[in-house]
Amino acid sequence: MSAMPQNLRIPVIVVAVVLGVLAAGSLFIVSETEQVVITQWGRPVGEPITRAGLHFKLPIIQKANFFEKRVLKWDGSPNQIPTRDKKYIWVDTTARWRIKDPLLFLQRVGNVSTALSRLDGIIDSVVRDHVSNNYLGELVRSEGWKRARESLIEAGLDDYQIILGEEGEADSEGLVALKKGREKITREMVADASRLLPEFGIELLDIRIKRINYVQSVQQRVFERMISERKRIAAQYRSEGEGERAAILGQMERDLARIQSEAYRTAEEIRGKADAQATRIYAETFGKNPEFYQFYQTLDFYKRYENPRGLFVLGTDAELFRYLQEREPEGVNP
Amino acid sequence: MDWERPPHRGQGPGVPPDLEQVINRLRQRFSFPSMKGGAFWIVALVVLVLVVGANAYYTVDPQETAVVLRFGRFVRTEGPGLHFKIPFGVETVTKVLTGRVLQREYGYRTVAPGVRSRFVEEGFEEEARMLSGDLNVVDLQWTVQYKIRDPMEYLFRLHDVESTLDDISESVMRRIVGNRFADEVLTVGRASIAEMARQEIQEIMDMYHTGLQIVTVKLQNANPPDPVKAAFNEVNEARQEKERMINEAQQAYNERIPKARGEARQTVTQAEGYATQRINRAIGETTRFRSILDEYEKAPDVTRRRMYLEAMTEFAAKAGNFLVLDSGGAGVLPILDLNQVVRQWAEAGSVPGKAGE
Repeated sequence: MSAMPQNLRIPVIVVAVVLGVLAAGSLFIVSETEQVVITQWGRPVGEPITRAGLHFKLPIIQKANFFEKRVLKWDGSPNQIPTRDKKYIWVDTTARWRIKDPLLFLQRVGNVSTALSRLDGIIDSVVRDHVSNNYLGELVRSEGWKRARESLIEAGLDDYQIILGEEGEADSEGLVALKKGREKITREMVADASRLLPEFGIELLDIRIKRINYVQSVQQRVFERMISERKRIAAQYRSEGEGERAAILGQMERDLARIQSEAYRTAEEIRGKADAQATRIYAETFGKNPEFYQFYQTLDFYKRYENPRGLFVLGTDAELFRYLQEREPEGVNP
Repeated sequence: MDWERPPHRGQGPGVPPDLEQVINRLRQRFSFPSMKGGAFWIVALVVLVLVVGANAYYTVDPQETAVVLRFGRFVRTEGPGLHFKIPFGVETVTKVLTGRVLQREYGYRTVAPGVRSRFVEEGFEEEARMLSGDLNVVDLQWTVQYKIRDPMEYLFRLHDVESTLDDISESVMRRIVGNRFADEVLTVGRASIAEMARQEIQEIMDMYHTGLQIVTVKLQNANPPDPVKAAFNEVNEARQEKERMINEAQQAYNERIPKARGEARQTVTQAEGYATQRINRAIGETTRFRSILDEYEKAPDVTRRRMYLEAMTEFAAKAGNFLVLDSGGAGVLPILDLNQVVRQWAEAGSVPGKAGE
């Protein structure tokens, strides 16, 4: 450089600067996350560039328009929508979308924030339509709901069975077979919204219901319902407890009566048999000489008599006197 | 006054030194005797090399993976250590935390992690509140732990991966809870809900090529909403009360019945005892009687008299008073002291008419 003649210095510098400007205007870098549409005086030329790397364009007359290549997120603002069964709920939805056709996108929409506001209008109205056309149960439950009750029973949770049992199948909340369910409804939402989106060069990948919540006033009522349900379950348990206790105590009384009476019966039978046997034994023996037996028993009575204060009245014809008078007793059977 | 001050002229302290002066000064500083006019360019070259050098290397921490782009296109990933790149924005490096398990929290936030972490729930009720399949309301808090499995996908396929994870996580959890009864969600369903959520979130994250791997989904708390809690507790109390009632009744049963059985056996045994006794006595008495009868039949008269008097003796000894009435007529006979008489017999040791054996 230092060897450069003096008079050439300025032009060289000018050329270098111009070349630099041209290079900067004709080279551009496309990142992995971007796609580019080149426009010439505002009209798109050629295919969109989706491959990352260093690319060329004509400086000044061509312009590189960068667009996001990645999947983008759309986040709806929560909406208060009545369902088909007139329950007011907050529905918060989210969606994923991408710029499928950057050319179209450039022509119809231009940039992401405009796209988002378009999506706002389209998705919100689609969501509103579908929510108000479906029952709340359909929005909350999804495929496989039928299994829910079985798994509840399998888990041994019989609390709620009390309520279900009371109300049966056709309860007010419609715990019945599902017609669509959440996934199917959201798939329908995507289909409906997608029909309006190709003209923007946008592809809608999904719409998801992020949150469903009752509005404040309804929530209060739901809480009240939950409380009353629980109270009913509690009452049921208490009365079951009372009932079972009564049943056990009743059984106890019954068993007691049976055990005691059986014992009494058996005892009486045993005694009776023994008495009968004893009677037979006595009869067999005493029957041999009843008269003597009577005599013997009478004497036995006297022998056993134990009462020092008793007063005995004897007739003069008592046997005793006969003996005392040395007389022969009569009527002795041989 | 400020506006009356004359305009500032000349070299103030804030004016940068003239460039030519600086270069001259540098020249003087670096002008060694051996150096000529080219010395300045050498210095410039050294500075350039230093700048390039500073821009041409980077380090990667152990838990990171570096993704290198050349003119915006992906060329390679690098692991931990010291690496080189082409400077001046030709190659750019993005570092992604691939080695660490990251965590997102829903329905609450940890404010001070540690051995005893503190949590905040206030302000996140909306995140936690959801509808169960029986259209009841439950509050659920959960965490999702995830790793960045594929840094390229993570960077290039989806915009704002974390917030998408949040959306999907909330949506999936609500779908699962919406497919179950509140009772199950609040009690036994937790483990299966967490596992199901992990699988579903993973599937959706794979579908969008987010490059995330969901490590675990943990359910922290599953509660009925505050206004309803008391009623839920009441059910538990009622259930325990029921158990208690049954247990008490069972206890009474267990106390009384075996005792009654024992008493029953006692009653029967007593009866059996009585029976044995009765029969034995009968046999005994009759045997005795028979013996006596045998003797009696040998000499009825004498024996009879003897027996009678023996009995009377015994009787008179025990009995109180006798009153003898004439059976012929009415009226009371003078009382005969029979006691006396009989006692005399007893003392004499002989009974009238006693059989000599």
